[in-house]
Amino acid sequence: MTHRSLIQRAGAALLLASLPAVLFYCGKGHTLLLDTNAVTIDGKEYASADTVNVAVDGHGPESMGRAERAQVTVGGPRHTIAIEVATDDRKVVRRISIPTFMDTALVSVPAILGGAPRQHWVTKFTAPPSGDAPVEQIQQQESSIVLAAPPSAAVTKP
Amino acid sequence: MISRLRIFFINNAVAILILLLIAVALPVAKLPAKFLAQEILLRLGRDTFLVLALLLPIMAGMGLNFGMVLGAMAGQLGLMFITDWGVVGIPGLLLAMILSLPISVLLGWLCGAIMNRAKGREMVTGFILAFFMNGIYMMVVLYAMGSLIPIFNPEMLLSRGYGIRNVVGLEGVRQAFDNFIPLRIHGLKVPVFSYLLIAAGAAFLVWFRRTKLGQDMRAVGQDRAVAAAAGIPVDRTRILAIIISTVLAGLGQVIFLQNMGTINSISSHEQIGMFSIAALLIGGASVTRATIPNVIIGVILFHMMFLVSPMAGKNLIGSGMLGEYFRQFVSYGVIALALVLYEWKRVSQENESRASLRREAAAGTPKPAGGGAA
Repeated sequence: MTHRSLIQRAGAALLLASLPAVLFYCGKGHTLLLDTNAVTIDGKEYASADTVNVAVDGHGPESMGRAERAQVTVGGPRHTIAIEVATDDRKVVRRISIPTFMDTALVSVPAILGGAPRQHWVTKFTAPPSGDAPVEQIQQQESSIVLAAPPSAAVTKP
Repeated sequence: MISRLRIFFINNAVAILILLLIAVALPVAKLPAKFLAQEILLRLGRDTFLVLALLLPIMAGMGLNFGMVLGAMAGQLGLMFITDWGVVGIPGLLLAMILSLPISVLLGWLCGAIMNRAKGREMVTGFILAFFMNGIYMMVVLYAMGSLIPIFNPEMLLSRGYGIRNVVGLEGVRQAFDNFIPLRIHGLKVPVFSYLLIAAGAAFLVWFRRTKLGQDMRAVGQDRAVAAAAGIPVDRTRILAIIISTVLAGLGQVIFLQNMGTINSISSHEQIGMFSIAALLIGGASVTRATIPNVIIGVILFHMMFLVSPMAGKNLIGSGMLGEYFRQFVSYGVIALALVLYEWKRVSQENESRASLRREAAAGTPKPAGGGAA
């Protein structure tokens, strides 16, 4: 085997070995829970507007009231979230990053809308024990699941 | 002239038979033209890559590769892993393809090595090998996954805690290739990206035939003894033909299943070999000769028959099941007919060359040794 073909083969092997990692990073799926519950960050409370339309990567938009959650499934680490306040036509478009191994992320719509620091926009969602969530608070809206959860019920701050 | 016509009919007997059947069933089925066109467009994108995987072993003289089922198993395993890891969209499918590669190569090497020990009986060897490997595949899927191989998604596992469920949904990657480049022509959805993948596969095969290895494969396919005398490593070349075929089958299975949207973990791969081979034969290929046009024509005719036969059966005798039986009958019947025709042609060629030798000997012409069919 010549020196050149050895380098070519090593390069191809390296590419084949690194490509799965790149594809995993680019294609890892996440469940985003778009949350309009009010949040308190550094002593300041951020509340959602009465009705907001939320679109992720151009899909949607999802019309949401106060203290609601909508579920969307996305692939990859970076996404664009567009939040439009129905009452005053205010529109905010932001880029959010989801950590690769965060399967379900809680995206705080009031935090994004209110201009809270970026690190508070996305937090890890941990499902509460099944007994904690009253059945009557679970609503089904078309294809998305909307949970009228109590504020901070299931938020784990990073 | 009559002799030429006879040869034409013998060479294309399977395709002509299916064309006749479709011609009879089409008016009886009364299916809307738009529905037929849409289904054919989608099925062409779904199946063609799998059928392309059969070409190289035919070129290498190994007949119809029933062992392609091994590649299909590898493709399915790749898809199961990406579903477990939650990788979605095009990156998910590409990752499944890459994951299937080492499994396909290993299984292809095993298949090729075994076929080298059964030269001349590759087809039946591949057929039985697929059954044997199915047992090992079942052990991996129903026992090892979840116990020895970690599976993180509990929804994929059987209630006992290990083993993959019968049906695995591919929601994250469903029709990701088909919808990647959206195109509609007169209301018909065209899976452009799947077609591009098929074109890439076909271009690879055309390029490969012109390489040194491709020429070696052709030489091995024509006459093993002559190829060996010319210094071609016959066994290695045959193994490579099967490995490439198995790898292509693995990639084809990923394309096939992304279109279907679900994996039947127990049986999705089982019929792939049979249906792909039937499609290729319907396209006018034989055990010794197959081309890319054979693949495309075969997939179109095979699926046309699949679409019209149940409806024709229903309209004729009031039962769609007739069409179902008919589909099975034609799939297996076509393969049997092609094999019988191949054997018949081989025997008649041998008889003809023997008769010509006798004629020459009777005429007193000196004749060099050899001349029989391989």
